[in-house]
Amino acid sequence: MFRRSSYASVAAGNAGSGQPQASGPARSGSISHLASTSGASPQPVHAHASRSADADGNHSSMSASWARGALLPSYSSQFGYMGYGSYDGQANTFFVPSYLKGSKYAEKLEDLHNARMASARELRSGHSSNAGSLSTSSSSINLHKMASTHRGMTHDIIERAPALADTISPWPTRWSEVDKFEQLEIEDNGRQAKYAGSQKSHDEAASVRADHPMPRQCGIYYFEVTVMSKGKDGRMIGVGFSGPKVPLSRIPGWEPESYAYHGDDGQSFSNTTSGKPYGPKFGTLDCIGCGINFRTGSAFFTKNGNLIGTAFRDLKPDRLYYPTVGMKRPGETLKANFGQEPFSFDIDAMVAEEKASILAEVADVSKSVLMNETAFIQRLVGQYLAHDGYVETAGAFAEESIAEARALATDGTEVPYTEMEEDLDAINRQKIRAAILEGDIDKALKHTKAYYPKVLRDNENIYFKLRCRKFIEMIRQCNELSLRRQAPPTPPSKRSTASNGFRNSIATDDYDSEMELDEQLGVLSGTGQWHADGMDTEDELEDKDAKLQQLLNETINYGTELKAEFAHDPRREVKRALEDTFALIAYENAGQSTLAALLETSGRVPVAEELNSAILVSLGKSSSAALERMLQQTEALVNELAEDGASGSFINVREDFLL
Amino acid sequence: MSSSTVSVTAATPTPHPFQLKVDDVKPSKSDINFVIMDYLISEGYPKAAQKFAKEANIQIPAEEDLIQARVDIRVAIHSGDIDTAINKINDLNPQILDTDPALHFALLRLQLVELIKGCTSSANCDITPALTFASAQLAPRAATNPEFLRDLELTMSLLIFLPSESLQPQLADLLKPSLKREVASRVNQAILNSMGRKGEARLRSLTRLRNWAEKKAREAGKDLPPELPLGLQDVEGNLDATNGHSRTDDVMVS
Repeated sequence: MFRRSSYASVAAGNAGSGQPQASGPARSGSISHLASTSGASPQPVHAHASRSADADGNHSSMSASWARGALLPSYSSQFGYMGYGSYDGQANTFFVPSYLKGSKYAEKLEDLHNARMASARELRSGHSSNAGSLSTSSSSINLHKMASTHRGMTHDIIERAPALADTISPWPTRWSEVDKFEQLEIEDNGRQAKYAGSQKSHDEAASVRADHPMPRQCGIYYFEVTVMSKGKDGRMIGVGFSGPKVPLSRIPGWEPESYAYHGDDGQSFSNTTSGKPYGPKFGTLDCIGCGINFRTGSAFFTKNGNLIGTAFRDLKPDRLYYPTVGMKRPGETLKANFGQEPFSFDIDAMVAEEKASILAEVADVSKSVLMNETAFIQRLVGQYLAHDGYVETAGAFAEESIAEARALATDGTEVPYTEMEEDLDAINRQKIRAAILEGDIDKALKHTKAYYPKVLRDNENIYFKLRCRKFIEMIRQCNELSLRRQAPPTPPSKRSTASNGFRNSIATDDYDSEMELDEQLGVLSGTGQWHADGMDTEDELEDKDAKLQQLLNETINYGTELKAEFAHDPRREVKRALEDTFALIAYENAGQSTLAALLETSGRVPVAEELNSAILVSLGKSSSAALERMLQQTEALVNELAEDGASGSFINVREDFLL
Repeated sequence: MSSSTVSVTAATPTPHPFQLKVDDVKPSKSDINFVIMDYLISEGYPKAAQKFAKEANIQIPAEEDLIQARVDIRVAIHSGDIDTAINKINDLNPQILDTDPALHFALLRLQLVELIKGCTSSANCDITPALTFASAQLAPRAATNPEFLRDLELTMSLLIFLPSESLQPQLADLLKPSLKREVASRVNQAILNSMGRKGEARLRSLTRLRNWAEKKAREAGKDLPPELPLGLQDVEGNLDATNGHSRTDDVMVS
């Protein structure tokens, strides 16, 4: 009697292991653990994106283009941790200065960091899986990829080296081991700089720059330096910033492109050996902060948590400034805080204030614009609803806004009455979308072929994705049937027939080979504890086994067909998609495997959207709605504004405006 | 010979570099849907919100039951029934008008405008109700605030000029539906604020951010195409000029 339900056993002639709950054949525990962690939630930075994971599985939304690149483990390891301050091999030295938390810039850097971690991890897991079990090594890497991109079967064309990696510069993390005066010693993971040499001439000093320039994208960059010990009768300590070519044998502030606040006289120095009265003197155990506001092009210092005031204005917008300290006496030691620990000055408040003033500027509009705005937004929403095929919503919205307009126009002066035209295309598109969202790919294909015959011919990649999706849906059904075989039967009352994705027509007897079915999320997620298989009678079990076997055979036939059709396709992404999809077969219970993400219903959304866009394009319409375009433009414009540290640096479109 | 090749390439212009950056941004559908739902709820489109929850398979936020109250108030204000509107607002939360004298005054003034419109509609109408209302309700408040006083004086001068075909713009504005719309929207936001919700629909802030960012970017001399159309035109086709939807509307006003 047929009892085993895994594809592997069908395909490979019943050779698998016997544990019913095995997550996969001979997979090393450590690998699957790694993969599943990353699949569930790549890194803490994405915690805020939990809502966005619902509908389209596109994890990080506004920054999606970034995240897509960034989350790719394929990022070649030759970039390693370069620039991340962990030359000594410590893995997790990444930190976000408190005042940059939630900023777009910090998000990007964190994504980049995570990508590097992921690539390192993949490298490791690749190795260990080779060492452990040769038979699964290749597929485990693929699984991992899919799990960590968390996008289901969208099969995006993936750029191997994220171009943005070059355009985003990291913030300072430590004193440079190279860009320093020779006799300075760098200690404490690069945080501490100590003058170890003996002083030669009066003019000579020892300076060191940080590993990276202060990034303009911050808007405001700030760091602190604590004087650990003044040397013997040492006085001359300078804290500030300088360009990359400024000689390091001089105290900062004395040379061109060099700016500093000196402890011996409390004066500020820029580009010259004569200072200007600025603040109090400072010495041992004083904590000096230095910040640049790139928006205003000015620099300020703090002492022990108190703002002293603006020290320099008119900093040039096109120069690189590195945090720099300089000292003159042997034994002098300075310790930097680039954000690894809390700052003594409340820089967070200063940044928040700057941000609030910019947001206020954004919000400040005259009343006349407000009136246009109301009408404009109404059209924007109406167009989005129609464009994306939310037919009923669009109808209700038009009705309600017409009623509103009528109430306003009681005087009979203006009656802006626009008849809501029946948009046949919108209805057709809605049907197709609904079919995909329900998992009924055949129906979607049928409708598409009937209404828009050209679309599938012209967009072979979409056709391919639909076919793959159908395969996945078949596996979902097998998976579910197999679960049901082990589980107590679901009482009919609990079977919802609503069309919201929970439709459950896969009940044992009304299974039909048209695949007019949908999975049942509840069963999938609730099966973790079900080890029992004793509720069913032997007959029912056998009946189910027969169904399951039939379904399995059909699925495998379909898979074979699919493979035959596309096996010779030279495109890399097609090959990858096929590999990833077929990896599902290996699991007896794919819903609990590291591949579960592939099976999620959220994977249907991107397919549906892509098809919808393709249909719109074929109709000569824009592929994206005006609202979507507006979001894209906004993000791109703010990005532009953030580049040189202007006001855009303080805005995170998604965090500040969408959530 | 060479000219023909030139014309061929000119037919498909290479996109502006900024356009490529725009295309590179991939907004998430769930974010957009969230913003849409937020708009439908906060601006008061309950039917659409319900349909949308179904079609987009997302949740309606919890304060759903209050939408209808806000819609009723909006309808009352739009149709000039300010009495009803004030009563309904006070039913909801009497604090709203108590703590916002400017909003209360704006509502009462709207009521005065309606009264004046009513009693000046024909030549031999009685203007006493308008005068009584103004001296009983508005005058005491106007005494406390010069801005209120100015608004009251302006409104009262309608009595002199109405009915008239050619009012000066300041006065004509008082009769436009847009005034009612503005007050209704302020009331809506006050109610939302009183419920501890972020007052304004995110879509509004976003629209402003878009305008502001373009303005700033152009000021900073960034390399942008001369226009950044949204494509609202594509769908609506030919628009009649009476609706005021011109080409510039698509580019957004700032």
